[in-house]
Order: sequence, then structure tokens, then C-alpha cells
Amino acid sequence: MAEHAVDPSLDTPALLAAEEHEVAIVGRSPWYLAWRRLRRNYVALVAFAVFCLIVLACAFAPVYAHHVAHTGPNDTHVAETVKVGGKEKVVIGGGAVYDPKTNTFDTSKSIIVLGPTWWHAHGRFVLGADNLGRDAAVRMLYGGRNSLIIGIGSAFICSVIAVILALLAGYYGGWVDWVISRFFDLIWAFPVLLLAIALGSALSVNGFHHFGIHIEPGSLWIPVLVISYVLIPYIGRPVRGQVLSLRQKEFVEAAVGQGAGPIRIMFSDLLPNVASTILVFFTLIVATDILTEAGLSYLGAGVRLPDASWGNLIASGQQQIHTAPWLAVAPGIAIVLTVLSLNIFGDGLRDALDPRAKVRIEH
Amino acid sequence: MIRKRQWTWVASVAGLAAAVSLMAVAFGVSANRSNAAPQHSHAVGTLRAVLDTVDFLDPQQAYTGQAWWAMWDVYETLITYRHVDGGAGYKLVPGLARSLPTVSANGLTYKFKLRKGLRYSDGSKVKASDFKYTIKRGFLATGQGVGFYTGIVGAEEFQKNLTGDIPGIKTNNARRTITIKLTKRRGDFLTILALIFAAPVPTGTPSAIQNGTIPSTGPYRIINYDPSRGFSMVRNTHFKPTKYIPRGNPNRVDVTFNGDANAAVQKVIDGQADYTNAAIPPDRIANARSRGQLKLRAAANTYYFWMNTTQAPFDKLQVRKAVNMAIDRQAMVTLVWGGLGRPTQNVLPPTYPSYKKLTLYSRNVSKATQMITAAGARGAHVTVWTRAVDDAVTAGQYYTSVLNDIGLNARLTILPRSTYYSTIGNENTHAQTGWARWLEDYPHPLDWFDVLLNGNRITAQDNNNYAWFNNKKINKEIEALKKEPNLTPAVNARWTKVEKEIMQQAPWAPWSNRVFPEFFTKQMGCIHMQALYGFDLSRVCRK
Repeated sequence: MAEHAVDPSLDTPALLAAEEHEVAIVGRSPWYLAWRRLRRNYVALVAFAVFCLIVLACAFAPVYAHHVAHTGPNDTHVAETVKVGGKEKVVIGGGAVYDPKTNTFDTSKSIIVLGPTWWHAHGRFVLGADNLGRDAAVRMLYGGRNSLIIGIGSAFICSVIAVILALLAGYYGGWVDWVISRFFDLIWAFPVLLLAIALGSALSVNGFHHFGIHIEPGSLWIPVLVISYVLIPYIGRPVRGQVLSLRQKEFVEAAVGQGAGPIRIMFSDLLPNVASTILVFFTLIVATDILTEAGLSYLGAGVRLPDASWGNLIASGQQQIHTAPWLAVAPGIAIVLTVLSLNIFGDGLRDALDPRAKVRIEH
Repeated sequence: MIRKRQWTWVASVAGLAAAVSLMAVAFGVSANRSNAAPQHSHAVGTLRAVLDTVDFLDPQQAYTGQAWWAMWDVYETLITYRHVDGGAGYKLVPGLARSLPTVSANGLTYKFKLRKGLRYSDGSKVKASDFKYTIKRGFLATGQGVGFYTGIVGAEEFQKNLTGDIPGIKTNNARRTITIKLTKRRGDFLTILALIFAAPVPTGTPSAIQNGTIPSTGPYRIINYDPSRGFSMVRNTHFKPTKYIPRGNPNRVDVTFNGDANAAVQKVIDGQADYTNAAIPPDRIANARSRGQLKLRAAANTYYFWMNTTQAPFDKLQVRKAVNMAIDRQAMVTLVWGGLGRPTQNVLPPTYPSYKKLTLYSRNVSKATQMITAAGARGAHVTVWTRAVDDAVTAGQYYTSVLNDIGLNARLTILPRSTYYSTIGNENTHAQTGWARWLEDYPHPLDWFDVLLNGNRITAQDNNNYAWFNNKKINKEIEALKKEPNLTPAVNARWTKVEKEIMQQAPWAPWSNRVFPEFFTKQMGCIHMQALYGFDLSRVCRK
């Protein structure tokens, strides 16, 4: 049997035949070939597994909160005590003490917030408490839920809108392409974060009540829609370019010649040919959206307090960076792991889906 | 040959490790940095202060403690307060005026005479007519303090038309005299004249906001104001010190803005600043005390949550009382101030002679929950408003969780500090409840009850009565007490009664009287606290 090439993206039909014990060559779809290439990319698979683990952990946040930590994400436990390793500890203790007899304050003690109990308190305050006596681990998981909902939701909406606009622009060309391209340029002209902050801040106070759509101020729809909007060109422009080049291909001319309508051609002929690009962009834009949401929430224009998101947890934790740095570092690490795993998986997906990529690999 | 994806993996892990290492180094450097203050003799030279921000540096506009702290030594008023510690600092003394005014027997006419030879920092003369122009400018500029001066004859008409004269102010530049006539007697009028809103500015100063560019009359003048960075104060060479207004020890004061309390405190610890009035983070109080000088200032203040009595569900007394019963005031003092405060259920702080501690609402969360249900307010949507300052956000979050605990459906809205008060004070906002605080403008109960809880003072915009509290009986009593010239025991007893009646209606849930930390490097000496304006920079020195 021939030696396999080290790089699975260089699988050839002959190689596959050899693997399949020299039976008759069966045609495989590009998706199958891509899947085979992907499943040999262990790094990408591990990254995807990490991402799935994070998503699952955050999805089960209510289960953890109810059955393990026995508290909600916004429940304060200021004057309460917790048994940690058999010892009673105050969730928030210390602080200046007023002596009414002398009318003075003893400032020899600062506030001490309960640190990580690491399961010595039967699942309560695993990562300690924050400055309001809330369970930091519960807020981390709920924060992750919100960040992932916003990241994945906005990526989906952004992709749908961008692809539709790109198909229209690339298929029709002419003035349609001109208008849509100018729309992309208009959004592109603004720094992404500044535009997102401006929109997020404006909508976060009164919500959105126009065109029959009613979104309350605290709704997650606000950051979802804001981030979707500002990142449309990031998918729209490259997909439009691909559609433009595909539009000139013979199969499209054939479809036109057979009397196929524009909608059929766009969605049955053009869309499948750009699907792999869209899929790769989708994974990468999810990572970008999670980072954008973190930035917005950090600046107060995203998820509204007291609801958690990884971004506003970093902002809140910053206040105690000297005495409880884990409150800011832990959500930061969560963001890094999530974005890193998505980017690595996205790279692997691109290698698997885009056959032309193998031409660019250097040996 | 390593494949491309393995390089990606290696690079990613290396990047992550580098980031974690950098963070560890940053923490280590921060913890080990020494206090490297410059070496000086007793002279101060330049005082480096860190404030979170100021709203304005225009005397007819500024209405925050930080701005007044700076401008007290920049813009003098006809009468002012003494540069002494303790309660003696509440005593009014002549400022630009030669002496305290003569007041007519009916309490309606006040006569002043300016000191001789007064000049602004640009060398121009201070004229008596500048005072009238200043009051008019306040109305033209819709300054935040104009409500204090509507009692002057003709002022209300001028406020409506914004043209013409204010006949109640007569001035004579040759004789340097100013005569003020009121429509009604007002017991706190002298203290109102001592507000920085009434600091004379040159006639012709534009009514548009002039931050730090108006010539000064005090020992310092402002230069280099940048709203994102700070400003400086340098000596006013045309100022002549008096018995009551000292020359000032620092040659220069450099004020830097930093909204991050942690960073402000760290600057002082590291010797990059001499002073900050930032709220020491509750978890750093002991640390700050050991690495600098932590002084505590008991200024007259009350922190409270207002409840709009015209908006559901707070239009129901039972709901407002339930909220008062649900809040753990001691816990809030611990969370927000690190213990540097005293819980309260009063409107007035304890510094007032009329203060009598109220304990109308014992904490009982289950009873509060029952009251909410009984009032039919269970599940009612409530927006809690607060401003984007750490302590206000912390207090707002706690308050929101309390409202949710007793059965309301509360969400928090955080506004930038620059727009907070104007937003909640606008009737079109229909704000239901939120955070607020009041620091006394001057030591008189009218500054509290008349400004914050008199229904007759409610305005559609820039309203200070955030509860929209309008009780006719209480309004009438406040108006009657306004005419009392002195705070006698009998008058104080009436104020005590007014306060109790107000809190029985519970338009507020007051929760603390804060003790303000003032943090200095160990090298600073001669640290004095003026009762109204705080740290007296004019008397500071270095050890």
C-alpha cells in the first residue's frame, strides 16, 4: 500500500482507492472529501471539542446554578456565611467600623470578599464571590451564555443578511451592485467598535420601537442586532466577490438559458458554490462577534448590568483587580479559549473545504 | 518539516503564555512599586490632585462638589465661608464685600459695599454692576442654580423673557454698592449669596458655557482646561489676601481627571499625585491607610433612592414603604463604602440641629414582599436608574436585586454621569426610581426640603425633586418656614416634624450618610477640611 501523504488535504482519488482496498473508485462529494480532510486535522477537532465543551457548560448554567451552587446569577449574599472546609466564612466581611462613642471610624480593615472555595463548600462559590456577594462561577457561566448567544446569534443574522445582499449584488450587478456596495462601504467607513458603541448606547436606554418592532432596553436583541449590523460587510464583500466571478461561469449561463429565474439561480446554483466560504467565515465571525460583544459590554454598551456577560464581568472585576484578580482574569481566559478554539477550528475548516488552499501550502 | 497547522497551534499557545506572563509581571510591578514622591521642603510648589471629573468650571453652571472644591479659591462671592476646620467653617464672613450686609428690618433688602481696589485676574476692575450681570447671566445661561435667585424682585419676569432688567438689584459703581430687594423674606438668602453661582464675573461675559476662561477674583485662576485630561490653577497676581481669604500655599495646582478610583488611589500610592478624593475601593481601605494618609471627612450628605410618586408602581404608598423595609442599609454601607458611612432613614444628615434619627422602617423582606403583593404590584416592570460611577453602579445593582427579591420585575439602566441628572429630572423620561445623592449647598434645611421635596419647585426639566413629591400640606409648611430668618429651636422643631411627615410618605428610601475619604501621600502636611468645601488646598503644605 502506498504511503499516505502527511497532509490529508492532498488526498487523491488514487489514494482513496488504495485505502478502500482497491475496490472500484466511487465518486465522493466535495463535502465528503472535506470531512475526511477535517477529521484528520486533530488540532482543529480538539479546538472544536473545546468550543463545544464551553458551549455545553454555559448552556447548563441554570442547572449548575440551581443544583450545584444553589443560587442565581444576580442573588446577593452580603451578610451570609458559607461553610468552607468545615469553617464558617463570611461572603463579604471586614470593612471600616464606626464607633458611636468616639464618633470615629476604624479603617484598619478593608472589605474581604470570599475567595475561590474550589469545591470545599459543596459547589458554592467555586470561584469565590464578587463585590456584591454573588457567586462568581455562576455569573461566569451565565455570562458565557449571554456572550455565546450574542456571538452566535449575531453571526447567524449577519451571515444571512450579508449573503442575501452579496447574492443580489453579484447576480444582478449594475446599479443593484452599486447601491449594495455603497451600503457596505458606508458601514465599513466607521470603526466597528465605535459604531457599535454609538448604536448600543443609543438603544440601551429606550430600546427600539420602530417599524412595528418593539425591543425592550435590556433585551439581548439589542447587542445581537447592533453587532450583526456593523459586521455585515465583513462577510458581504468577500462573498459578493465570489458571486461576481461565479456569475460568469458556464453553468450559470446554462441555467439562464434553460429559463431558470434569478431566485432559483441565486439559491440553487450560486449559493451552494459559495457555501464553503460562508461556512468558514461564519466560524470566524462568531469569534469576532464574541470579542465585539465583550468589548461593548466592557464599555457598558452591551449586556446591561446586573445581567452578566464576559465583557462586563471583566469591567466589574477590574474594580477588585488588586485583591481579587481572578474575577477579571477568569472571564478573560474564557474569552481567549473560546475565540482561540473557534479560530483554530475555522482555520482547519478552511483547509478542509477550500481545495485551492492546498496549492498555497508550502513544503 | 512541521505543518502549517502545527505552527498555528504552537504560535497560539506561545501567544497565550506570553499574555499570561505579561499580566503576572504587571501585577508584580504594580505591587512592588515604591512611593516615589518628589522631595520638597515645607513649601508645596505644585499640588498634584486627581479628581474623577468636574461638570463645569463656569461659576454660573458648576454644581458638583469637585468643581466647587476647585472654584472656591478661584471665584469669590460677596460673602463666603471661613477657611477653618469644623463647624466654625459654616460661619459666613465677607468675601468681595467689605463686610456682611445690612439687612432691613423686614428682611427684604440687603445692602453690600465692595472692597476697594478689587480686580479680576486679567487686571480689569471688579464693578458693582458685575454682580447684577452675573445674576442675569445665570438666567440667560439657564444655569443649574438659577432657582435660588428667583426671589429677587423682577427675577422671575427676567427668567421668563430673558430680556430687560432685574429691578430688584440696584448697583452704584462709583460707590461700589449693591442693593438687593426680595419679593418675600427668605431665611437662607445670605447662604444663597455665598453660593458660587453668585460669584461676580465681568460684564459682557458670554452666557454660553465658559469653562475655566472667565477671569477670576480669588487667589488662583484656571488655565489649560481639557475636559478629557484636567486643568491647572495658577496664582492670580491681582489678588490681595484678606483676613478671611488666604493667599494659598501651593504655587500651582495640577488637577488630572481619572474616573477609575483604583487608578486614582494607586497614583497617590505611587507618588504620581499628592491627593485624590476618589472613593477608595472598599477592598483597599486598609492598604491605602498603610501607604498614604487617609483622612475622613464627614460632609453633610445623604444617599438615597427616589421613587417617583406619579409613576406606577411607586404611586402607591404601600409599595414605597415596602421598598424602605426591604433595603439592608448597613449591608449597603459595607458594600458600597467599605463601611465608611452611617445607615440612615432620614432626609437630613446628622449635622443639622433639627436632625432626629428616624427608625420608621424595620427591615423585613417577607413583610415587604407581602405588601407588594397586597398593593397589586407583583411583577410590575420597574426601571432602576443610576449613573456610571462605581459606587452608584454598585448601589444600583444591589437595589435592583432587592426590588426583584420583593416581587417587582426590575432592570437597571446606567447613564453617563454627564446626562444622568438632566435625564431623571426630565418629566418626559417618566423615570420610576433610581439612585441619587445630595451634598449640602449651604447649611440650612431649606437646601434639602425646598430644593428636593417641595412640590412648588417641581419643573418639567432639570427638576431636582426626582420623586415628583407634591404634598400640599408639606409644601405649605416649607413655604412658611422659608420666611423664618433664624433657625431657632422652635423653627428646628418644625423642620423635624416636616421631615418625619415626609418620610411617612416615603418618597425616598434614604440609605446612608457617607464619610468621604480624602487620600494624601505621606509627604503632605497641614491637611485641613473645610466643612462645606472639603480639603482646603489653600492651607496645605509638605512635611
